[in-house]
Amino acid sequence: MLPLELYQGIESAWCPGCGNFGILKACKQALSELEIKPEDLLMVSGIGQSSKFPHYLRCNTFNGIHGRSLPLAMGAQLANHELKVVAHAGDGDCYGEGGNHLLAALRRNPNLTLVVHNNQVYALTKGQASPTTDQGYKTLLQPEGVAYPPLHALALAVSQDCSWVGRGFAGMVEHLTGLYKQALTHKGFALLEVLQPCVTFNHVNTYPWYQARVYDVEKESGYDPENELWAYRKAKEWGERIPIGVIFKRSRPLLEEAHPVLRAGPLVRQQPERPIKELLADFF
Amino acid sequence: MAIDFNILIGGAAGQGVHAITGPLAKTLVRQGCWVLFVQDYQSRIRGGHLFNKIRVSDRPLLSSREGVDLLVALNQETVQLHQDELAPDGVLIYDASKVKELPTQGLKLALDPDTLLPEQRAAEIAVNAGASGAILGLLKVPLEPMMALLLEAFGAKGAEVVGWNHKAAAAGYRLAAGVNNGHSLAGMTPPAQPRLLISGHEALALGALAAGLQFLSGYPMTPWSSVLNSVGLRAAKWGVVVEQAEDEIAAINLALGASFAGVRAMTGSSGGGFSLMVEALGLAGCSETPLVIVEAQRPGPSTGLPTRTSQGDLSFVLSAGQDDFPRAVLASGTPAQGFALAARAFNLADRYQLPVFLLTDQYFADTNFTQEVADFPETVEIDRALKLGPGAGAYARYAITADGISPRRLPGFGPELVVADSDEHTPDGHLTEDLAVRVQMHDKRLRKLTKLVTEMNGITTYGPAAAPLTLACWGSSLGPVQEAVARLNESKTPARMVHLSELWPFPGGAVAAALKGAKKLVMVEMNATGQANRLLRQETGLKADHLVLKYDGTPFTPEDILRGLEGHA
Repeated sequence: MLPLELYQGIESAWCPGCGNFGILKACKQALSELEIKPEDLLMVSGIGQSSKFPHYLRCNTFNGIHGRSLPLAMGAQLANHELKVVAHAGDGDCYGEGGNHLLAALRRNPNLTLVVHNNQVYALTKGQASPTTDQGYKTLLQPEGVAYPPLHALALAVSQDCSWVGRGFAGMVEHLTGLYKQALTHKGFALLEVLQPCVTFNHVNTYPWYQARVYDVEKESGYDPENELWAYRKAKEWGERIPIGVIFKRSRPLLEEAHPVLRAGPLVRQQPERPIKELLADFF
Repeated sequence: MAIDFNILIGGAAGQGVHAITGPLAKTLVRQGCWVLFVQDYQSRIRGGHLFNKIRVSDRPLLSSREGVDLLVALNQETVQLHQDELAPDGVLIYDASKVKELPTQGLKLALDPDTLLPEQRAAEIAVNAGASGAILGLLKVPLEPMMALLLEAFGAKGAEVVGWNHKAAAAGYRLAAGVNNGHSLAGMTPPAQPRLLISGHEALALGALAAGLQFLSGYPMTPWSSVLNSVGLRAAKWGVVVEQAEDEIAAINLALGASFAGVRAMTGSSGGGFSLMVEALGLAGCSETPLVIVEAQRPGPSTGLPTRTSQGDLSFVLSAGQDDFPRAVLASGTPAQGFALAARAFNLADRYQLPVFLLTDQYFADTNFTQEVADFPETVEIDRALKLGPGAGAYARYAITADGISPRRLPGFGPELVVADSDEHTPDGHLTEDLAVRVQMHDKRLRKLTKLVTEMNGITTYGPAAAPLTLACWGSSLGPVQEAVARLNESKTPARMVHLSELWPFPGGAVAAALKGAKKLVMVEMNATGQANRLLRQETGLKADHLVLKYDGTPFTPEDILRGLEGHA
């Protein structure tokens, strides 16, 4: 176990009581228990309150643009697959702006962890609906209530054989730490969605709201995370009862295995030798 | 009498225009000819009309030119569309099963598939290989080198297919060998040092490989795709990760992630796809992540003319992205220059930690040029400009320095943490709203241009220095402009060319010096508004007296330029 102080980042700009604090605490705890050193870790993020996460944690960081944490993370992972790569994104960032990249990541199966902070609202832009906002939820922009049903991203992930799918709750830090540890050590694309109360803009999906609904799916009878039909039903369960825990697991070939050149080690450690005479040889 | 003639091979997409062109052009290059061929095609997979126009000479060629001397028609439409270009002493070689109406002028040579390959029913092979053989027969070039190339091209399809090709080529050759015409290559001999037949994008891809490219991501789009394909074909051999992205936004972000992690990375697209990349171009600028971007122009706006050529995106790449950040823009005139500039782009990107554009176009992408080995460098310098040794305590990725360049480390190469950000940031990479830091950091980034501009030049001049008429141009217009200038000088109109290949940061001093003495300045470019002329005026105060512009999607010919000068030369 490494000392927690090792991961101390800069002072945060999150609202007091923000669900992100619970996520940060769980993340640091998991990194410390797994003894992942800051220099071996690369955290990549997009834009939103969730994407400030890497600044508040001491590590290598690439904080990119809105919705694009996944391609940035996959590019870095392909260039150096010895780095422990973790992407942090919000529900708007990952399920809205960057939706196409989630689909592509599900196909590619990169060996990285994606943590989606799901607060069911656009907080940084002051309260508009997100892709996961519940139907009927009223905002300034949607005064009659959100017309469409929320995106069931975990069900989408299960349907596309995502290698590891789990859900945690920012109000249950110890449980979330366990999920982080599993996601970080899983070989393959791990999607960890975290229910994250927004204390400023979301007055419906609050700590008590989630507390009354979440249950540990792993303690249910018939728990069967390797059965995709069971997992699909659990991933779509939302409303009166919301499952947390590991929902789906499936072993699949990794993105890095699709590129034979990476068998010789991380790309960044290779020294390409390309004599110009040999390059020109195809054109005589 | 100098040798200089055009062979036009036309038909519907899928009929075999390329199957004839490739081996034929290579055979002629091996025989010692200088060959340049342009490709004209439509945005469709089958049908329509496409043609390749092969210019053949005993002297170096930089450009296509107008006129047709040998017309190979695989269908009737080709005759209809090109018969007016056929010279009075030209030769028409045609598929007799498809072409029924013939032009009045010139010699005519019918290819009957059933005669060429009587016992097999492989009409397309009969005509394609038969036409290749017939052209060589007409030109009095030995058939054997072509036979070797047909084996190379069709070997994978089996001995039977190769046999049909050989048989039809030999039959075509016999048919034409006795025909006398004005275009004999009998005197040509293979050069002591073999020459290359290579397209602009192929050479650019090789330059990137020579420079140590390790990661290429992209989404297919014409004409950019040929870079993706040229590297993709060679990726396994040379150890490159090539990833086809889900969209152009992913393509540029993948490349930025790979570059941040430490490998030389490239992405690219054509105008529409590059439009999608623009937000992440700003990310490269703000996060100071080295990146090489190919922007292969085609006419716009929007989808425009997908398979045609243009120089209409210069203003766009110069200003794409919100607010100011440093970038470099390079545009080659020949494949060999494309090779060298691709390699240079990676060094500039690494040294100055910024995005570098290789601005090309469909003409540069698809046109095959004959080049000498000596046109290419023997080695290229690779300067990663990285700091990888032990550090002295805390590391600040964006340390404020006099030249604006902060020492760059890589993540995972030591205890120093590398923190990069799209937000305005402190020297250690963390987001900030300290407005004094913002000004300091913005100035630091822009300061990189002060040193970079001193490295920029890329000016090629041609023609007598004292000529009063100067034709300025950039990028792929080099060949047609140089030939137009050569013809002006031959016809006693002294003229010179000033070609620019390094467009940003604009080498204003060097360009002004090169244009000094120009009594009449003409800017030649393939867009409707004179984008390079505006750049010249903005950066030097100089401006052209006359513009020769073309934007119908077809490349410049020397004749276009000479017509554009009428009344101004």
